[in-house]
Order: sequence, then structure tokens, then C-alpha cells
Amino acid sequence: MNPVSHENTKIRVTDLSFFYREREVLKKVNVGFAESKITALIGPSGAGKSTFLITLNRLWESIPEARMTGKVEIKFSGMYRDIYEKSFPLPTLRRRVGMVFQTPNPLPMSIYRNVAFPLKLAGEKDRKIISQKVEEALDRAYLWDEVKDRLNEDAINLSGGQQQRLCIARALVMEPEVLLLDEPTSSLDDSAGRVIEDLILSLKEKLTILVVSHYLEQVKRLADKSIRFSEGSVIN
Amino acid sequence: MLDRVVIAFSWISAVIIVGAVCAIFGHIILNGAGTIKLSLIFGDVAPLDALLLKRQVLNGLFPAVIGTLLLILISVMWAVPLGLGTGIYLAEYAGAISKKIFNLFFDILAGIPSIVIGLFGFALAIFLHKNVSNNIGPCLLISSMALAFLVLPYIIRTTQVALEELPREMRLTALALGATRLQNIRHVLLPRALSGITTGVILAIGRCAEDTAVILLTGVVAMAGIPHSLMGSYEALPFYIYYISSQYTSPEELLTGYGASLILLVLCIGLFSAAFLIQKRLTYITLYRA
Repeated sequence: MNPVSHENTKIRVTDLSFFYREREVLKKVNVGFAESKITALIGPSGAGKSTFLITLNRLWESIPEARMTGKVEIKFSGMYRDIYEKSFPLPTLRRRVGMVFQTPNPLPMSIYRNVAFPLKLAGEKDRKIISQKVEEALDRAYLWDEVKDRLNEDAINLSGGQQQRLCIARALVMEPEVLLLDEPTSSLDDSAGRVIEDLILSLKEKLTILVVSHYLEQVKRLADKSIRFSEGSVIN
Repeated sequence: MLDRVVIAFSWISAVIIVGAVCAIFGHIILNGAGTIKLSLIFGDVAPLDALLLKRQVLNGLFPAVIGTLLLILISVMWAVPLGLGTGIYLAEYAGAISKKIFNLFFDILAGIPSIVIGLFGFALAIFLHKNVSNNIGPCLLISSMALAFLVLPYIIRTTQVALEELPREMRLTALALGATRLQNIRHVLLPRALSGITTGVILAIGRCAEDTAVILLTGVVAMAGIPHSLMGSYEALPFYIYYISSQYTSPEELLTGYGASLILLVLCIGLFSAAFLIQKRLTYITLYRA
């Protein structure tokens, strides 16, 4: 009963179940996500939304005592790839599927180095390319004008909203195709949250975006489609 | 009522301990300060000549100071990489079962009395002397290895705990950005754990500086001069203090023991500060340098 498998499906999830210790957090989830659209994941706390997100970049594999079955395919350059295939390198996957967390998590380093960090991890050495990409990413994240004169300051000095935009810039710098957002505005005040919403909307042309949200108003403003989770299952 | 008793007890405990530390320091300083002269360290030799190793110091503490410094540095040089590696393995790579086994093993290691480790070092030196070369005997190399063994548990444990204490969000941050496990450790986790690890290194330095039992059996002697190689015997401050306090012939001689204690204290404070500054610098370099 896979509901979506059209031509423009970017992510295809089949029979995905997830266990933490003995608890079944996700139960046989079948769902698809359209390319260049914003899909909101909604539902009560503990329904498995955040867990679902980290099955799409395999981040759960770093969490002890977690286990998963099922299949996740993402279309990269026109071809569906099983992201759990052994031959699929994890770093590559995570550069193509970016993620932003609920609480802004800049690393304890300068603003510039935060955004340049993924490039450094990927082995980029050319300082020119790095600084150009950092500027682009900060610009896309609506942050460049606010920080261009203080790039070497510690990122911790930024406000909460700025920190979250910095984290979005950091996720964008590798030019991912999918962006996972786990309640990106829930730790921010309304006006800072609105800036992030505008920013997310501006990104959807080039990106497939999944956003976990608790706010119905926000879902209305952002999402092209919403998927409701309840007790580990998707309800249509 | 019980609250008050507990609070009073806590206060008294703190006061007793602070008082004891002050008493020890005061005692050493009162007795030792008077003996601190250049001649205590350099004897009859001009300080510059001694420092440049032009002339041997026969009746001063200079060889013991150098011996202790070398001993600490070489021991820490063995222990830090090994301890770091083991700590990282335990915190980041070990499975649940191997972790339990290793933890038990290192707890036992931490509990081995230093005299036993000294005895083992001595036995090793004898073994090497008989089976490898007549030139090998108790020496700086064997002492430093035995001391490294003694302090390894501190470094392993503090490294492991410092890494394990990092919050899960921090562990996932770099991984979500495409970091490999090793990159995550190298660029995020280790720099964040550095101050915890430094605590272990400082403990190790202190232990290497004070331990007498291990070196007593593995190469320290009363009159050796500056060690000319790793295979040579050497002098050390804690051994001098032990030796002088059990063999002194006059009250003045006993006072030089206090002088040596004071020098050992100052030496340790210097090394602790150095470790601390290195940690600050490393943190800065790994995290903030543009």
C-alpha cells in the first residue's frame, strides 16, 4: 500500500520498522516524498517523527541499542539508491541528506569555521572555494548580512535564531538534495521562527524538505503536504 | 536537626582537609625555605656551568632535579599516547562485553601497589640483563616504563570518562554533517574532552614526580650525577627526600630534605601549569584557529 510512487518521488520508504531496545518505535511505515516539496511530519510527541527523520540519513546507527528493518530509497541523479546498501558510503549520504536539529547546535568555533566545517570534513582544501561556498550558504540561510563583518567571532555569541540559521547554512554548504528539519523553530521566539519559515520556503525550489512540526499554523504556512504519525504508524 | 548535623559535618570535614593541606605546605616551607640557596641545588659549582653540563654537581640537588624532570617527561611520553588510545577505544569503539572486561582489568591495574610494579620492573631488568645484554640493568628506561604502567589507569580513565560524558547531541552534530567516526573524534570529541584528559595527565605527572617505590627498585641511586643515557642510573628528588630523612647525620642535613620537598612541590606546580597551558593552546588550535 505504498501511497506515493510517482515520477517525482524523491524518497521511497518501504515497510520501515524501528526498534529502540525492545520498543517498536515505527511500525511498517510505507510512505513517499515528492521532489522539491515541503512535507510536514505531524502528530503527538513520541509518535516516531524524529526517529523517522534519522532513518533517512542513517544517523540512528550511532545510537546504541537501536535496530531497523525495511527499505529506504532516495533518488540521486535520476536513480533510486537503497541508502542502506553496503556500498553506499555514509559520509556521502549525509552530505546529500542534510539535517537540522531542534536545538541549534553550532560547534564551539567561529561562525566561519562552523559553515566551512563540512567542507573540511569532505577534504576540500582550496581556501577560495571554501570562502565562496561559505558565503553562498550563509546568504541562502538569510544570515550573510548579519554576520559578514564578524565571521571570526565565536558562533555561541549569536542569538538563538541566528544560530539556527547558521546550522541551516552549515547543512546547505554541501549542497544537499534533501533537508531534514526536526522542529527547527520550537526553541525560538515567534519572530525568529518566522524568519526561519521564510527561509525554508525559499529553499524548496532546489530541495526536498521534510519538517517535523508541532504547530498547525506553521504547517499551514509551510507545507505542501502533511503526513500524520500516530503511535509509530503513518495515518492518511 | 539532621540537616544541621550534616552541614556541620561537611563544614568540619572541609576545614580539616584545608587545614591539613595548609599545615603540610606550611611545615615544608617553614623548614625548607631557609635551606633554599643556589648552593643547595648547585653545590660548589657555578650555576651556569652546571646548567651547561660543563661541570658535574657533586654536592647539590641539581642531578636529582634533572633526573626527576627526565623521569616525569619520559614516563608521560609513554603513558599519554597509550592511555589516550586505550581511553578512546573504550569510549568510542569497544563493545559492551569487551568494555566490561577491559574496565575490570584497568581497575585492577589501578589498584596494584607501586612497590609491586617496581618489583616487576626490577625482575624485567634482571631478565634483560641475563638474556639480552650485560649492559642492561635498572635504569631510567626501565623506571620510566614502570612508572608509565603505574599512571596509565589515570589517563585511560579520564580520557574515557571525558569522552563518554559528552552529550549525545554533540556526538551526532558532526556525524550528521558527513563526518566519519574518526573525523568526529579528531575534530569534535577530543577537543571537547581535552580539559578532562588534562586532569588525567596532571594526576599522572604528580604520581610520577612523587613515586619512590617504583624507582627504588628500578634504577634510582643516591649519587649518579646527570643520567647520560636512557640506560643509565639517575638521581631523583623523592628518593633524595626518602634517603636523607632516613640516613641524616645532622639536623642541617635533614633540613635539606625539606628544601628538596619544596623544590619538588615547585617543580610539580610548574609542570601542572605547563600541562594546563598546553591544553588551552591545543583547544584553541583545534577549535578556533581560522
